[in-house]
Amino acid sequence: MSFLQPLMLAALPLISLPIIIHLINQRRYQTMQWAAMMFLLAANRMSRGYAKLRQWLILLFRTLVIAGLVFAISRPLASGWLGLAAGGRADTTIILLDRSPSMQQQGAGGVVSKLATGRQQLVQALMTLGSSRWVLIESTTNVPTELKSPDALLNLPSAEPTSTAADLPAMLQAARDYIEANQTGRTEVWICSDLRENDWNAKSGRWRPLRDDFLQFTQGVRFHLLAYSQAAPDNIAIRVTEVKRQTTSDGAELLVSLAMTRQTDTDDVVSVPIEFEIEGARSVLNVEMAGPTYELKDHRIGLEREDEIGWGRVSIPADANSADNAFYFAFSKPTSRQTIIVAEDPTAIRPLQLAAGISPDPSLEHGAEVLTSEQLATVEWEKIALVLWQDSLPEGGDAKLVQTFIDRGGQIVFFPPKAISRSRSPSGTSTPDAAASAGPGWRTGPTFAGMSWQGWAETDDELTVETWRGDQDLLANTLSGASLPVGQLKIRRHCELNGEATVLAALNGGDPLLTRITTDQGGIYFCTTTPAANDSSLATDGVVLYVAVQRALATGVETLGDTQQLVAGKAQELIDPWERLAGAEEALSTDYAYHSGVFSFDERILAVNRPAAEDLAKPLEDERVAELFQGLDFVRVDDRAGNIDSLIQEIWRLFLATMMVCMVVEAALCLPKLRPAEGASA
Amino acid sequence: MFPDRQARSFLDPQALSRLAGLPLFARRPMLGSVSGRHASPHRGASVEFAEYRKYVPGDDLRRLDWRAYGRSDRFYVKEFEADTNLRCCLVLDTSGSMNFGTTGTTKIEYARKIAGALSYLAVQQGDAIGLCCVAKGIINSIPPRRNPAHLMHVLDAIEQAQPRGETQLVPVLHELAETIRQRALVVIISDFFIEPEEMRSCFEHLRFRKHDVTAFQLLDPLEVGFDFLRPMRFLDMEGGPAVFAEPNEIADRYHKALQTYLEDLRKVTLETAIDYHRISIDQDYEKVLMQFLVGRSRGRGVR
Repeated sequence: MSFLQPLMLAALPLISLPIIIHLINQRRYQTMQWAAMMFLLAANRMSRGYAKLRQWLILLFRTLVIAGLVFAISRPLASGWLGLAAGGRADTTIILLDRSPSMQQQGAGGVVSKLATGRQQLVQALMTLGSSRWVLIESTTNVPTELKSPDALLNLPSAEPTSTAADLPAMLQAARDYIEANQTGRTEVWICSDLRENDWNAKSGRWRPLRDDFLQFTQGVRFHLLAYSQAAPDNIAIRVTEVKRQTTSDGAELLVSLAMTRQTDTDDVVSVPIEFEIEGARSVLNVEMAGPTYELKDHRIGLEREDEIGWGRVSIPADANSADNAFYFAFSKPTSRQTIIVAEDPTAIRPLQLAAGISPDPSLEHGAEVLTSEQLATVEWEKIALVLWQDSLPEGGDAKLVQTFIDRGGQIVFFPPKAISRSRSPSGTSTPDAAASAGPGWRTGPTFAGMSWQGWAETDDELTVETWRGDQDLLANTLSGASLPVGQLKIRRHCELNGEATVLAALNGGDPLLTRITTDQGGIYFCTTTPAANDSSLATDGVVLYVAVQRALATGVETLGDTQQLVAGKAQELIDPWERLAGAEEALSTDYAYHSGVFSFDERILAVNRPAAEDLAKPLEDERVAELFQGLDFVRVDDRAGNIDSLIQEIWRLFLATMMVCMVVEAALCLPKLRPAEGASA
Repeated sequence: MFPDRQARSFLDPQALSRLAGLPLFARRPMLGSVSGRHASPHRGASVEFAEYRKYVPGDDLRRLDWRAYGRSDRFYVKEFEADTNLRCCLVLDTSGSMNFGTTGTTKIEYARKIAGALSYLAVQQGDAIGLCCVAKGIINSIPPRRNPAHLMHVLDAIEQAQPRGETQLVPVLHELAETIRQRALVVIISDFFIEPEEMRSCFEHLRFRKHDVTAFQLLDPLEVGFDFLRPMRFLDMEGGPAVFAEPNEIADRYHKALQTYLEDLRKVTLETAIDYHRISIDQDYEKVLMQFLVGRSRGRGVR
């Protein structure tokens, strides 16, 4: 039970009024000389069960009457939102709205999605509760937006469903920042979400500091979680894993690989008609799906030879969640895989040139050009997918060129130069020996992305790679699960790095071998040794080098082609001027980045889709959620999609009715018993 | 009526003169010393024929029925009913509880009126009147006499009777049953706040002694109605423990106890052939007495 006017509850002690009056009345007795004592004594000896009970009942009902009145004017709410009472009206109400595709799931037998239900419930609840300020933080931008009134949620475009994943820690971070920046008073944070693991990132290290921050707020922050955690066992999600256009003898064909997943443990077979739509031409493929996953590899769809670029869509019939029934893709001729290698000594990086220049697929165009840093200005950057940089880190104009390349999505791997340039404050370069013995007065050489080379570290023994990230990035295990032979590498000499980076492989001794810098686009890697024979066995044990370079190249190519597959919400600045070819009609042009669809600009085609993690869509366990909010003022209520009962409703009428009933009962109990009118006379 | 004396507060001459029109009859034969208007168990010289009896030597020849001798040649003596006066003994309860009264009069005042009126009526028709004031024991006892000077004496005693002390009616009645000579009219005026079963024995004792017993039970309307609104502390007028009571809580049980008592008492009086009158003291005593006298005159003639 919660109250809109909890201060009125302060009047609750009034319920003792009947008792006090009763006690006062008891004290105001009269004394009388009495003759017929024998009857009084006899009456006292008799069982006083009902009479006594009646007195207590009368007192009880009088108390209830006052309690009913007090409760009624406190405006009680019938809801699961226990503990809402403290403090009354909130100063600021922050609504965190999860707009991820999984929120599009519909309730059993209903056509209302979780998101729509949640919005409706929030509007009803918040309109009843009232607040001085309303702030919406939705899951695409995580930017607080002030609302005039909660019912704006019903029409607001930024409350509509999207294809982007939500990042709950980031949303809470935004809420935290908002509270801190605006010094809000008592704040209510309402979270409307379906508790998907990928949206909540419960394992993220951001939760703990967030919780500590919220605990430090003195104004009182209360969390309400409106959870829609029901899974839809029959829901099937479809996703295109790979699209290849290849030329055949009689034209061209498209090889589409796709995967379907569903949240079920049973092995029952369902027939799923998959509809392919290529440039408006539709075809249907019926497949039998058993178990939780289904994969279709290289489904061939014929194309005209002149269809060099285009887009398509695969879809399945409507099910519990409409947001994961379609997947967009774009295809084009394979892009040429161009690498440039910037080297001090073009002859010394032969292994790199080979690793980048030999393509795994001979049908693809590829090339690796060796340059010196002076020749950078002549490079056609828009065609380059990968840069291998074995020289001093770029400075000035070079650095700008490289940064632009990375921002566009290019990949770059830095190798250490032979000589580490170091400068003492005004003067120029120094020898490696001098660098090795450099004192604290020495300033390190050029810095790029916050990293700089420190100096070569010579070791007597050959070092090996002790740990490396096999789960992702350049050194990830192969598709079959086998790990790369990174452990076999022998590092004879490595260069020390200065700066913050994610270590992908570390030598024994703790120094990194391969690190990655976090960027918005593109990839920056630092390898602390070179493939030169006296530095390491990267060239002789060439598998690792080849795989890493080809992986970096493949990632770089993805951003380069005429078509691109994007994950919704990941490429805002690229999207803005684009034109929609297919996709959700309701999306605003400024929000294209958050909606699945196909967009074109110039000659390029961009397919935007929901993140892969959304398809797995496992809900977080209840204990885990409670753990995340441990120590905070947290209330959770589980709702279901399509629920039309309001979360909270005022029930003061009920209390008023109770009060009246109590009054009537009390009056009935107080009525004197009808006695036979027997006179005293004989 | 009593020019040399101050009028007694409990005697209303007009009411008395109205009541004087009705005779006070006993319900059963009385043994009086002189002739009067009451039936006697013996044969006497009234005008009412009783029976013929065989002449035995020694009988007064004047009472021989010569006409019967002439018809049957046998000697018969003609006998007539005797009319006698009665001895009326008033038993007045003067215990503390008789001082109760909420209608402007108390029970003892009401009792004085009844006792005074009955004394007057009895003496007026030539009956003897006695008084016995009872509380813890016999407070004041005046034997029955029938002269008007004795009436003064009785009225004085009635006037001076003060309600105080406990009621010990039962032993006193047993004592009176023995001490009053047989066949008297015993009028008990009390509130009878005694268990009916205890009363039964003394009533039976009185009946055994062939007394004609009349009981006037005086009750206050408040005692019957028990209409209190506030909590009350009841002090016993006869010195018992005080009782604190919430009237609306106890009223039900009080009424139950009262009803049970009244029913039991009525049953006891019926079974012991007591002339029982329950009187609420807000009733007019003249009417009560009128009813009493009329009721008696209907029952006359039982021998």
